[in-house]
Amino acid sequence: MAPLLEVKNIRTYFHTQDGVVKAVDGVSYDVNRGETIALVGESGCGKTVSALSILRLVAEPAGKIISGEILFNGVDLLKLSDAEMHKMRGARISIIFQEPQTSLNPVLTIGRQISEGLEFHKNMSLHDGMLEATRLLKLVGIPHPERRVYEYPHQFSGGMRQRAMIAIAIACQPQLIIADEPTTVVDVTIQAQLLELIRNITKELDTALILITHNLGIVARYAKRVFVMYAGNIVEYGQALDVYHQPCHPYTAGLLASVPRLDEPRKNRLQPIEGQPPDLIAPPAGCAFQARCTYSLPQCSKEKPVLMQITPGHFAACWISQRGTKPWQK
Amino acid sequence: MAVEINTPVVFERPPHTLWGDAIIRLRRNYFAMGGLAFIILLSLAAICAPLITHYGFADQHLDQILQGPSAQHWMGTDQLGRDTFARLLYGARTSLAVGIFTQFIVIVIGLPIGAIAGYAGGRVDNYIMRFVDVMYAFPDILLIILLRSVLGGSIYMLFLAIGLVAWVNISRLVRGQLMALKSRDFVSAAKAMGGMGPYITWRHLLPNALGPIIISITFNIPRAIFTEAALSYIGIGVKPPTPSWGAMIQDGFNLIFSKPYMLLFPAIALALLMLAFTFLGDGLRDALDPKMRR
Amino acid sequence: MAEVVIEVNNLAKYFPVTRGLFRQKKIADVKAVDGVSFTIHKGETLGLVGESGCGKTTLGKCILQLLRPTSGEVLFESRDLCELSDKELVPIRAKLQVIFQDPYDSLDPRFTAMDIIGEPLRIHNISKGKEYRDRVAELLDLVGLARYMAERYPHEFSGGQRQRLGIARALALQPEFIMCDEPISALDVSIQAQIINLLDDLQQKFGVAYLFISHDLSVVRHISDRVIVMYLGKIMEISTRDELYKNPLHPYTQALLSAVPIPDPAVEIKRDVILLKGEVPSPMNPPTGCVFHPRCYRAFADCPKIVPILADAGGGHQVACLLYETSRP
Repeated sequence: MAPLLEVKNIRTYFHTQDGVVKAVDGVSYDVNRGETIALVGESGCGKTVSALSILRLVAEPAGKIISGEILFNGVDLLKLSDAEMHKMRGARISIIFQEPQTSLNPVLTIGRQISEGLEFHKNMSLHDGMLEATRLLKLVGIPHPERRVYEYPHQFSGGMRQRAMIAIAIACQPQLIIADEPTTVVDVTIQAQLLELIRNITKELDTALILITHNLGIVARYAKRVFVMYAGNIVEYGQALDVYHQPCHPYTAGLLASVPRLDEPRKNRLQPIEGQPPDLIAPPAGCAFQARCTYSLPQCSKEKPVLMQITPGHFAACWISQRGTKPWQK
Repeated sequence: MAVEINTPVVFERPPHTLWGDAIIRLRRNYFAMGGLAFIILLSLAAICAPLITHYGFADQHLDQILQGPSAQHWMGTDQLGRDTFARLLYGARTSLAVGIFTQFIVIVIGLPIGAIAGYAGGRVDNYIMRFVDVMYAFPDILLIILLRSVLGGSIYMLFLAIGLVAWVNISRLVRGQLMALKSRDFVSAAKAMGGMGPYITWRHLLPNALGPIIISITFNIPRAIFTEAALSYIGIGVKPPTPSWGAMIQDGFNLIFSKPYMLLFPAIALALLMLAFTFLGDGLRDALDPKMRR
Repeated sequence: MAEVVIEVNNLAKYFPVTRGLFRQKKIADVKAVDGVSFTIHKGETLGLVGESGCGKTTLGKCILQLLRPTSGEVLFESRDLCELSDKELVPIRAKLQVIFQDPYDSLDPRFTAMDIIGEPLRIHNISKGKEYRDRVAELLDLVGLARYMAERYPHEFSGGQRQRLGIARALALQPEFIMCDEPISALDVSIQAQIINLLDDLQQKFGVAYLFISHDLSVVRHISDRVIVMYLGKIMEISTRDELYKNPLHPYTQALLSAVPIPDPAVEIKRDVILLKGEVPSPMNPPTGCVFHPRCYRAFADCPKIVPILADAGGGHQVACLLYETSRP
């Protein structure tokens, strides 16, 4: 069966005062029906932009999708008219943003905001929409939903707002949900609640999920497949277990080594990745990670590596692992 | 040394200061630059008025009253036979002087009051701001008329009257800016280092509030100019024969149907100057707005 | 044990909620920090964990007198800082420094790197001219920044580099104590480890004590010698690092630890998460008895009635929970 979503070689650039920022520079990935994948990477690596590109929500005119294809159920989203795209958003694909504070409209009740999508996409009446909103609030675990639907966002706590966002996202039973750092601004205990909720709901509704995060632990807990991004490119992807246990890119290996783990004995010293990501306006000629890589070869600074299969289903864009060596593995 | 030094990645772009950046952005804004050019040209023309026209602003040519534009009188003459072009140039002196000197008074009064309220906060702020609110609520023109009758009719007293009314805006702005800046971590850091109130206000708070203050002043100048014009229009502005655009508009207004150019030229001049300052202010706002910077 | 640098006794900070225009009437208190006592020893790192709103940042600011506590004592060099005037505090502030969370907010955008790092030197009139520039250069070296960067402005640095500037500034006066308020949570994962190692190195070199405030339990385990767990303005548990992580006594600590995802799918698949009910209540009217009881999965009849006291449950491991006899008043 064809995947639900296929992102093919998209490039999204931003025009700034200082030059063109190549935020996403040739990224491809796919999501199967009902599957949870994760896009991992640090701020500025392009993970959010590449996901926003799916919904064509990149801030214009500064940002622009330069090229590529985004096939959703075989239809190229980049070729749809604005009206057709509008019917996709919220109905077939929905998004949960990082900050519920700014993504909820402060002057509308929570119920109204949930029912909005239902009225638009499913031709529901306001009355039915509100009833459905109550049901959804109950589903996402908000106590007293029949009272809470009539409340405004400021009457909700941070965790509750994010639950309301989830309710909005699932209202029209989309086939794909994009969760952009959904728990970065909430606390650990609330994070655990929300992620469990997202997992249970996507399982129940058989919805695919793109989880965008920088937290390697969350990825390990929730995602089946992982795509690691660095400087506007995917540098490695594969089954989560493979990527975590046998990283084929020194960046992934470095990330995993740099975070302290609660289940392992405490190390005396952490192993950071030295240096910092390159300037995306003038990216280096070869591998973007070369300057920070301890193992780089002469070839690395000259030619940009492309994604190649290292082991079945496990791809990496690295000259070193493509030679069949993994010096970072002990 | 126990500490490792990593070679930091150097960004390839040339370094630039925040002010330098703002100037670059301002230069790219043609409207703002046009406004600035107009203001500079007008200022030069006003200063060099005697070199540009050989008519004085009070020279009466009673044989040439109410003439239309001609080679001799580019913009015609008024009912006393005075050259309109010369009066416009000298009137620009009045307008610009009003615009600039009132802002000095505004800064001298408004800045410290706003700074004190903003830095001190609490009860001090509460009392100062309630006083400012009362000033704000009082109708401007009424207050100026009152002040005019108390202070007397000289042009300096006019500056003072307008300034005494206009400072509330700046002090509100400064206070708001300082309140916001005070909660920033770099201010806490300065406090934690042992910096005291006046030091923090002077070194950290005011320099960071400078951008909005400059923008606000740029917008306040045309308001003051307009206020002067309005006062002269109703006859309590500058005393004749000192030319004022407002008074000229008033003179022209009486003859609006028979001699429209008498109204037209000063009105266009005033409108252009207002626009110039507004464009410049808008440009400055875009250039200095820190949100523009990533 | 090493000598005590700072002793905090029964510290409390209430923020009054007021109403009224001129004569403001207090209608309630937000009890951000509510009766907290502990000590910080020379050269050690004391971790302080808790969720947002638990009062950990307020506590840190009260120690440094950036906020004046409502009651209690902060003893430093046998003087109670709470009793000192702002002026009297100035010389003491040289020895107590701070590193903030947000590297974009904590540096004045109108200052150059040199101005920023040298600011404490200028405030305390410590050095001038060449000596001043040399000291700034030395500090830049120390935190791993190149000297030619001294003339640059904060917006020309990356987040990690900015945090290094903040650290250099805190070190300028060779303080005895630095409050690190979530110093790495705004940074990227790959940069976090750099900053933690830097903090580690500097501590070994200068013997400075840290109060390391964080919500990241794995990082706190890495960097701390002892750890405090706070909830709703109160201390739930204090212990040495190894003891706390191996043998967490308080149900809240246990839940926190289980909520931290481990970056290994093979481990995660076998792990059970203790999901806490609900959210942190408002500190304006905290629950009766043990403040944690409404969310506690082991709460019993006494919990809403009796306020547990923080007491030694054996081997210096202090806990405030009625499951342990020692916490009964």
